[in-house]
Amino acid sequence: MKYAITEQCVGCHACALVCPNNAVFADPDKPQQFMIHPRRCTGCENQYDTPQCATICPVETAIVDELMIAVNPIGSLTGIVPLHVGRAQ
Amino acid sequence: MEHHVDERKSACATGANQGGSVSHLLPKEIQQQIERHPCYSKQAHQYARMHLPVAPACNIQCNYCNRKYDCSNESRPGVVSHLVDPHGALKQFRAIKKRAPNLTVVGIAGPGDALANPKATFSALKLIREADPTAQLCISTNGLMLAEYASELAAHGVHHLTITINTIDPHVAAKIYPWVYYDHQRLRGLAAAERLISNQLAGLEAAAKLGMLVKVNTVLIPGINDQHIAALSDAVKARGALLHNIMPLISAAEHGTYFGMTGQRGPTEAELTNARNASGQFMAQMTHCQQCRADAVGTLGGCGSEASDDTPATADKLVRVAVATNGEPLLSTHFGHARQFEIYQFDQASGQFYLLERRQVAQYCSGASECPEEENDKQALFNTISDCQIVLSARIGISPWRTLEQMGVTPNVDFAYQAISDALQRLARQQQPSQPQESNDEVCHY
Repeated sequence: MKYAITEQCVGCHACALVCPNNAVFADPDKPQQFMIHPRRCTGCENQYDTPQCATICPVETAIVDELMIAVNPIGSLTGIVPLHVGRAQ
Repeated sequence: MEHHVDERKSACATGANQGGSVSHLLPKEIQQQIERHPCYSKQAHQYARMHLPVAPACNIQCNYCNRKYDCSNESRPGVVSHLVDPHGALKQFRAIKKRAPNLTVVGIAGPGDALANPKATFSALKLIREADPTAQLCISTNGLMLAEYASELAAHGVHHLTITINTIDPHVAAKIYPWVYYDHQRLRGLAAAERLISNQLAGLEAAAKLGMLVKVNTVLIPGINDQHIAALSDAVKARGALLHNIMPLISAAEHGTYFGMTGQRGPTEAELTNARNASGQFMAQMTHCQQCRADAVGTLGGCGSEASDDTPATADKLVRVAVATNGEPLLSTHFGHARQFEIYQFDQASGQFYLLERRQVAQYCSGASECPEEENDKQALFNTISDCQIVLSARIGISPWRTLEQMGVTPNVDFAYQAISDALQRLARQQQPSQPQESNDEVCHY
């Protein structure tokens, strides 16, 4: 497993449409929630410079890497940074 | 909801100043092509349009959009309650078409970007065209992928196209779009802005050359793009755009958009008029846009839905019927279980009921935070149809029956489990006027 989708997912399908390995699929149990197939995901290594799912995903913290670190942390996509996060930095 | 009504009124008010500003500026053959399309011609308000919500993904981020939001309380582009796949869209189209012969326009407007979902978009267009070759197909797009798909759109019979272009200045665009996804990369800042603008203009030019009728939508954002409207209008006109639709920014804080969260205000009525005047030097203006949802169904409101305010003379005759339905072709929904109502309006000229719109009950809650309360749920049901004279359902409890009667809405369960289209035909026959009535059209010049 290279990347995974968290519960922040809003089910917009964007990652599923750009994944070159057909590794993204809709969670059959939860509406509006997608999953990444752990064996199919290659992290787009040798295919693209960046993992395509995380490159198009519009929702911050919805995609995490193997260390469970968000590829798109809070504030990185929308520019909206909650006050407490701003203070911590 | 309140916000939405305000916009509707302001759209009417602006329309009054400009009269039929659109049509006389356009060549005759183009006037004919848009005269049955309510999103192009104000005179086409009796025709219904249907947006198929088949395109969830988007390839750019706009600062006036929040992709997390999906609430039927909202009424604005990018918001949709139920996604459908292309076959589901065809099913919806067939069901609506049966009951609404005035459905002439079928479009794909999201909730993401039509061309960020090319498979679903083209497959839905193909299915609709096979089912009804007379349907006018249209799509709206941010334009990022338009140059790539323009000829495929033309081949699928798409004749009407709307591109949202907010500016042609990359420094302005960088304040509106934090990123775009293009060629497998997430571009940011000026790189994103330059890519988006150059693709939009190239796409517009390609589409216009293929003979498509291109409308440009612009969201007017005071202090950001409002001083750049003339340059934008000049540039898109030169590339073949036909109409310009300048819309006010919607930026309520509770929508959670960047502009909402940062206190960016929408334009005043005067600012909107100034922008439309600036653009009007170059292009015909469209001023009756309702900024509708990506799953909107029905006529474009405007005068039609304002009729109750404008026509006191006809107040005591039946004009509107609400049908409780959860999507079935038969009248099988209990009033208290209705999640939506289809609103039909009687047309004197043809002696038929036409679908005005579909209303989600949840949209009529008094406030998002109070929605779960049972009392509010009940009130929402009543609010949804308070402007109708008759409500059809399969069954209804005695207490709501009385409440409706007090509101002046007559409950009717005579057509339980019959086809909705048959029920409407029977009601239409009962509406035949004994003496000639004033045509609805006569109060519709605004």
